[in-house]
Amino acid sequence: MTEHRPDTTVDMRLVAEVLRKDRKATAEFVSRYTDWVYSYVRRRVMPQTEVAEDLVQEVFIAAWRGLKSYRGDASLRSWLLGIARHKVDDYYRKRLRTSDWPDSDDESVAEPSVIPMYEEQMDRALLQEKAHSVLASLPEAYCLALLWRYQEERSAREMAQLTGKTEKAIERLLARAREHFKRRWNHDGA
Amino acid sequence: MTGHEWDDKLFRMLSESDEAAFEERAPSRVKARIYSALIHEQQETGPLQSLSETRAAGHGLCIFEELVQITPFGEKSKSHFLCWTCHARLLAENMENAPIYWAHCPYGAFQER
Repeated sequence: MTEHRPDTTVDMRLVAEVLRKDRKATAEFVSRYTDWVYSYVRRRVMPQTEVAEDLVQEVFIAAWRGLKSYRGDASLRSWLLGIARHKVDDYYRKRLRTSDWPDSDDESVAEPSVIPMYEEQMDRALLQEKAHSVLASLPEAYCLALLWRYQEERSAREMAQLTGKTEKAIERLLARAREHFKRRWNHDGA
Repeated sequence: MTGHEWDDKLFRMLSESDEAAFEERAPSRVKARIYSALIHEQQETGPLQSLSETRAAGHGLCIFEELVQITPFGEKSKSHFLCWTCHARLLAENMENAPIYWAHCPYGAFQER
């Protein structure tokens, strides 16, 4: 059985030119791939646009430093998005380690259990837009925890290992984050 | 709606988000800054490929690079990154749709037009 490999001839040629430090090829590298990496990163660190811009730059610097190891087994785009994923994980890990976790007692309002009916009829794009706007209004630790858990699909155990916190602490943080999310969601929809 | 249903709903909203809906162009000033940072990194480990070699590889040169390229100076001077001293770089790194209209300027190529 032959293994299916993507045709990366064009990618390999561009990589070879960038490694020779050809300034025009380097510009082409940036031109061709920044939009992909930016979209990927921005979606994961919304609403912090400046953070996205810094992370994208870090992705390209890391790519340059590791470019010799690119063998063309995957497309250059996939390779870059792999680096981006690591950078985003690093970002979540560092921020969750260092950001203040709000006290559980603050804003202790009963958790609402009902979502207004009209939201059931909102289309997916609008729901996602609202979800991101609600996330943006949360304390940073809550926003990061929810994104890491639900968007990046990291388990509480993995999050605990990566941040050096206990699994219980992460679960408590997630529970509070969900509670705040729901409260803001209903408040905004009212 | 129970807590469990709510968690499911939240999970779906955040995990099923349509990648296509979030495809967006990076700001041109971000591309410009990344390009400058990459060139800076490349220069940390030695000179850039000379303009003569770049041209021989089939790439176009901007008017300023052309001028340097045809001068009878050594190859070393043709490895300098002339954009460090060019106003186009400054404009591109700091504003969207910077007014750069001459051909083969990398910073011009990042602009949305």
